[in-house]
Amino acid sequence: MSEAAEFDVVIVGAGVAGALAAGQFAKSGLKVLVLEAGPDTTRDLASYNAHLETFYTASSKGAETPWPPAEGAPQPDGADLFKQEGYFVQRGPHLYGSTYTRTFGGSTLHWLGVSLRMLPEDFELRARHGVGRDWPIGYAALAPWYDRAEHAIGVSADVEEQRYHGLTFTAGYDYPMRRIPPSYSDRVLGAAVNSLEVDLGEERVAVRVRSYPAARNSIPRGDYQPIGALDIGSDGQERSTYIGERCEGNTACTPICPVQAKYNANKTFARADRRHLTLRSQAVASQILFDGVTGAVSGISYKRYDDPRSTSFNEEVATGRVYILAAHAVENAKLLLASGPQSGEGQVGRGLMDHPALYAWGLAPFNVGAFRGPQSSSGIEDFRAGGFRARHAAFRFDIGNDGWRAATGAPDATVIDAVTNQKLFGRQLRTQLADQLSRQVRMSLAVEQLPDPDNRVTIDPAYRDKFGNPRPVIDYRIADYTFEGMAAARKVAARIFRQAGIKDCSRSTAELRFPTAIYDGEEVHYHGMGHFAGTHAMGSDRSNSVVDEFQRSWDHPNLFLLGSGSFATMGTSNPTLTLAALALRTADHIIAKLHDGG
Amino acid sequence: MASPDITSIEVLRSQLAKAIQLEHATIPPYLTALYSIRPGANTDATQILRVIVVEEMLHLTISANLLNAIGGKPDLTVKGFVPSYPATLPDGETDFTVGVGPLSPETLKAFLKIERPAMAPAGKSRHVVRKSDDHSTHLCTLPEDATLRYYSIGEFYAAIRDAIVYLDQQAKAKGETIFTGDPKRQVTSEYYYSGGGKLWPIVDPASAAKAIDLVIQQGEGKTQAIFGDSGEIAHYYRFLQLDKNRYYQQGDSPENPTGPALTTDWSAVWPIATNLKLAALPAGSELYDAAVAFNSAYRQFLALLTRAYNGEPQVLLDAVPRMFEFRNLIQQLICNPLPGGNGNAAPTYEI
Repeated sequence: MSEAAEFDVVIVGAGVAGALAAGQFAKSGLKVLVLEAGPDTTRDLASYNAHLETFYTASSKGAETPWPPAEGAPQPDGADLFKQEGYFVQRGPHLYGSTYTRTFGGSTLHWLGVSLRMLPEDFELRARHGVGRDWPIGYAALAPWYDRAEHAIGVSADVEEQRYHGLTFTAGYDYPMRRIPPSYSDRVLGAAVNSLEVDLGEERVAVRVRSYPAARNSIPRGDYQPIGALDIGSDGQERSTYIGERCEGNTACTPICPVQAKYNANKTFARADRRHLTLRSQAVASQILFDGVTGAVSGISYKRYDDPRSTSFNEEVATGRVYILAAHAVENAKLLLASGPQSGEGQVGRGLMDHPALYAWGLAPFNVGAFRGPQSSSGIEDFRAGGFRARHAAFRFDIGNDGWRAATGAPDATVIDAVTNQKLFGRQLRTQLADQLSRQVRMSLAVEQLPDPDNRVTIDPAYRDKFGNPRPVIDYRIADYTFEGMAAARKVAARIFRQAGIKDCSRSTAELRFPTAIYDGEEVHYHGMGHFAGTHAMGSDRSNSVVDEFQRSWDHPNLFLLGSGSFATMGTSNPTLTLAALALRTADHIIAKLHDGG
Repeated sequence: MASPDITSIEVLRSQLAKAIQLEHATIPPYLTALYSIRPGANTDATQILRVIVVEEMLHLTISANLLNAIGGKPDLTVKGFVPSYPATLPDGETDFTVGVGPLSPETLKAFLKIERPAMAPAGKSRHVVRKSDDHSTHLCTLPEDATLRYYSIGEFYAAIRDAIVYLDQQAKAKGETIFTGDPKRQVTSEYYYSGGGKLWPIVDPASAAKAIDLVIQQGEGKTQAIFGDSGEIAHYYRFLQLDKNRYYQQGDSPENPTGPALTTDWSAVWPIATNLKLAALPAGSELYDAAVAFNSAYRQFLALLTRAYNGEPQVLLDAVPRMFEFRNLIQQLICNPLPGGNGNAAPTYEI
């Protein structure tokens, strides 16, 4: 490795994976540079609140509304799905419905905060169920890093409630904060359906409404100190805010927590040792430079801009002993593909996954207090594992606290319907709205997807962004395995609604806001969960993967690819916690090697 | 410890009850000034006021912990607990009043006086004869003789701290302690949050002294230090930033802050009436009802706090949503003009 390298470690991407790794390196005294494509407008309170204002004043409110991208660091946007423009070049046949954020802090700025562990059987899908592929590591190997990740990002849950489907925990372990209190509607639904048993093929599954682990601040255990809103001034000093040390239930986790009670990666940077850490924003990595003989990375070329509204930039090169791409599953693959020699037998970019999801929504028989609390606080996890996975996808439900907002655009859509369709006004209108809105129930049915080599990110010289960097070209098809999982999920949701006396309204509204697929002669309206994964999967040898179990590139010995791109399969858990655990594990591995003189 | 003012545990308890009243008394003026800022305007002033209000709530809770530690029973519902504004506070040789009104250069002056670091000069008595020609609520009075008050808030707390040491030494000589309170009545960080720092159980003179020092350092500081031991800026200097249009940073002198600039637009504030009383509102009007509703919500809030400070700390969780209610109820008042063109309505805090 180059003696003249400016840094010990160069990291591309200031999201959760990059932040956690950077924090570990800085703590061990290694000199770290983090390059972030987007602007640094999320770490001082006034700028963060300006993003909040952008969200409040926008007429259409999507996952990226508060986070408009810089000209040189474009990002996908839900509003682009039905226009043949936007950042992604979608070649179909199905639309990939998810988005991500290219701003300091990454997609943790807009995420919901669900922090489930993967199940032991998720790591051995091929061995146990004959589908997908196996990971090179198992749950037991990753468990200690799950513990650390839950403390690093701050997860609220009660361990007693999380022992299911073979999930085990270190003796005496508990989450750093108590569970977020279940909402009233969670409790009402739980009381109605917790005795229910549902038949799924040959299996009988008992349903239980359960709090899910959430990276939102709650009552701390022991000495743990929740981190609330950040306010880092232009002088680099952190000022106290006394905001967000507990979740306030603002029902706006996605796309922006108004009080920063929800984790975002900037909190990790704020706690990192600044003496060893250099953060460089508005720096778009554009090419990895390789040593022609050894295949080792010798530098990362990036385009630095002064004005986010401008398309002019200067090219600079960052050098280190070790290089980490933590830029996002799509961006990692794109950058590698744009840099020439490929890794892993042409496998880079292949195996793209998501959790394509359906909504089920209905009207409860009485007021369940909709539109209060975090967007959701409980889920149904009982269908994440089982013998049925040999035949169709597993799935899990989020139970919303936000009425039909996500599914139909309520409360606005409910008002429009009452006024324009039902011609209501005055007291009658108010009575009707108060009655309907408070009874709205919504579940998200997130369905597993298996890695398919034809679902992929590629690049094409014909499609470039304003800095001349390639735009991701997406090929995406939802397989029957997943469609059948969707059908099963829909049946279970209908059964749960029936049991609880909830009037199912799921099919009575044509949903034109979501991508459509045809399966079994019927239209399926699905949406993306933002769970990109699998574009540089890990495996046991170079013939079946891009990286090894430490996320190290098989072909470039000093290059590591972090994030959910490394997932061999993704099960049904939201990917952030697992990619956080993997990032910490990789950082430990690199620190040991570097301190070893390697 | 020469001639302490507070010579018995009963007197110490009554002085700590006054400390709770004092810490609370700053909240209505600060909270009202905070909410008087028009939405979206004056983000620096908003944040400065908000942090100070929150730290006053911490001080309130610490005072309650102190009283609990020595076997007292905090009660925020007793008649006269909430002062009739304007309330009178000591400022060295003279008194000054603090009222409930909009954020303005004048209210800022009063706030600076509340928080000004001041101890009696050497050789001077820490007691001052207070003016007795008015009927407003006088805070920081001496035990038993209400015609005397302390030179400053700092002296008021110094007397309490001296008394804790003195009385516990006396008790120890008899093999006893004044820290007889049930530790379960202490409110700790489990239930108290986003509130200006950590809380710890007060169980002995050392933990009590640490608590009083925090109140003095963050708030009515006794030294010239801008930053406290934990790097927090004292309230006086937080407010002074609004006067000097610039933030302090480490190493600054009091006269000359050198941090980032800030500005306050004094016109972007609702023109609310100062020290408004219910009697000034037409009975039966919507404004009257809104003012009554606010006072009622505030009374319930103080009742919840009293429960929380009397062995049910988990009640604080229920108290928080009440504070969101305040914001909505205050807005109903401050956004609406009074009849007769005397500015907008305001909460009256007649509890």
